[in-house]
Amino acid sequence: MLGLDDAQHEETSPDATELVISRLACSLVGQQQRVRLVPGARAQQAYGSETAIEAFRCSYGLNPAYRTRLAGGPLVVSGLGTEGEVRIVELSGHRFFLATLYVPQLSSSSEAPHPLLRAYLQAAVAFRLAREQDAAQARRVEQ
Amino acid sequence: MVHELRIGIIGDWDPARSSHVATNDALSHAADALAVALEVSWLPTPALDRPGGIARLEAYDALWCAPGSPYRSMHGALAAIRFARERDWPFIGT
Repeated sequence: MLGLDDAQHEETSPDATELVISRLACSLVGQQQRVRLVPGARAQQAYGSETAIEAFRCSYGLNPAYRTRLAGGPLVVSGLGTEGEVRIVELSGHRFFLATLYVPQLSSSSEAPHPLLRAYLQAAVAFRLAREQDAAQARRVEQ
Repeated sequence: MVHELRIGIIGDWDPARSSHVATNDALSHAADALAVALEVSWLPTPALDRPGGIARLEAYDALWCAPGSPYRSMHGALAAIRFARERDWPFIGT
């Protein structure tokens, strides 16, 4: 992302000069944390509220040194932890491109499907329909 | 009405990882809520780093980069994420 072809995860390359995802200062393994959702962004629209409670197992987060590089770029922070940590990022100008620094699928159930994943599948359906329409249109043009 | 939405999961499937099993389960929960059938495929990361690996991603209606670092091929995983970003393909990374 952001053209960091050599983006490395600290777990695999602790010596990599470009560490995008790094170990967080505090241990978040197995903790419930509040996520503040930026109004109007895709994540907030999906959740339908301005905060969410999510379980954090992964003890990694976005290297704080990259926060300034993110600002002004297409990558938007749409969810933050209580201390302002990056929890959700989205790409503006993209039909649906979102990443979480937690695992929403772990709290999904058949009674309560996770809202982010529901929104993701809705985007997939819309994309599929658009591609099918484009293909049908192309066939009509050929005939 | 969409017939069998195709989801491609970028990741090295490991049934011992609860996060992987949860990914499949959560997809079915959301799909049921939307009344859509899914065809879910786990895409091994080394294959994404081989010639033709990325072109095959066009078969999917959405891509998901699963938890599971370290991937067998970080380069393959990043190439797939780049595809989703540059080609405007629905994508989620968790």
